[in-house]
Amino acid sequence: MHKIAEVEIQHDIMVANKKLAKRNQKIFDNAGVFAVDFLGAIGSGKTSLIEALIEKMDYKIGVIAGDVISRFDAGRIEKHDVPVVGLNTGKECHLDAHLVEHALHDLPLDDMELLFIENVGNLICPVDFDLGSHIRMVVISVSEGDDTAEKHPLIFKDADIVVINKVDIAEAVGADENKMVNDVLELNPDAIVIKSSLKTGEGLDEIIQSIQKFMDEA
Amino acid sequence: MHELSMADAIVKTAIDVAEKNDAQEITEVTIEVGKLAMLNPEQLKFMIEVLSEDTLLEKAEVVINEIPIEIKCRSCNFEGLAISDDSDHYVPIVTCPECEGRDIEITKGRECNVKTIKIEKEDEDA
Ligand SMILES: Nc1nc2c(ncn2[C@@H]2O[C@H](COP(=O)(O)OP(=O)(O)O)[C@@H](O)[C@H]2O)c(=O)[nH]1
Ligand SMILES: [Mg+2]
Ligand SMILES: [Zn+2]
Ligand SMILES: [Zn+2]
Ligand SMILES: [Zn+2]
Ligand SMILES: [Zn+2]
Repeated sequence: MHKIAEVEIQHDIMVANKKLAKRNQKIFDNAGVFAVDFLGAIGSGKTSLIEALIEKMDYKIGVIAGDVISRFDAGRIEKHDVPVVGLNTGKECHLDAHLVEHALHDLPLDDMELLFIENVGNLICPVDFDLGSHIRMVVISVSEGDDTAEKHPLIFKDADIVVINKVDIAEAVGADENKMVNDVLELNPDAIVIKSSLKTGEGLDEIIQSIQKFMDEA
Repeated sequence: MHELSMADAIVKTAIDVAEKNDAQEITEVTIEVGKLAMLNPEQLKFMIEVLSEDTLLEKAEVVINEIPIEIKCRSCNFEGLAISDDSDHYVPIVTCPECEGRDIEITKGRECNVKTIKIEKEDEDA
């Protein structure tokens, strides 16, 4: 004789990721490392910003570069003489806390003060997957069109710092960078929104001051 | 978008629980998917079925319940079901039904929850 039984599971995959993320944050805290997650579309300037920050910030920095297939970004960052781990996600469209935990084994956390995590270039999928970072920075650029924020509202909700990059070419691409700032603030009035150009250096000091502010508060 | 990795996690969870309960097979699995979880239910179901081959889950019926979006509005303090307009883009634009504000906190609609399984097992009294 067989019988049928119903078993209550209530296992939320998202909640499971959040738990792993909390564990990662403990690892960061124990090592005295402040972690920043960089999100944004492909080509918005995430790697360029990380490179600029490495050059300008007076901290011991390490990087996790998430990439769908290549180690291209990791290679760019290696040139700046900082420890970097490239995470190939294969078909995956986002990093998750478990992948990041694996990468941590290959970083000299005890000899680091700041960790930059470049997420996969995607404005949608990474949103719900906390990695354990202390703050989330979203980098968008005027070349994606000035309706980017309107079209992808969720990514801005949990953002601490939002960078509107490539303002040097705003006019050329017919984008209104101030509209982008206002759209973001409408979705998240608490976000720090900074217009930048990594070509001219505009906004870079402000980005650094904002990261510093969060580090001081942590 | 990431139905495959989610399906994989769902299948592992269901089989793990079934094994712990000495199941001979799983006849049904019920999953709750939030409307904002960025998962297409049809695609998710298909992936689960593909990954279930040759497992305890092979013959199970896959039931997916969509969970609507609920919000808390930071402007007018409204709490409840949101208006979501996904006619335009594949990411819904979520607004407050009271004041149409967009500074809202999403309280429900992002989950991907393996809720229950129905299993068949040997009746101990038999
Ligand atoms: N004009 C302009 N180009 C930029 C700026 N920031 C980055 N870029 C260029 O945009 C391209 C993509 O940058 P990258 O950092 O690889 O973007 P990622 O995919 O977000 O990491 C590169 O060719 C950069 O040189 C900027 O502020 N202005
Ligand atoms: Mg990059
Ligand atoms: Zn994904
Ligand atoms: Zn592992
Ligand atoms: Zn995805
Ligand atoms: Zn409201």
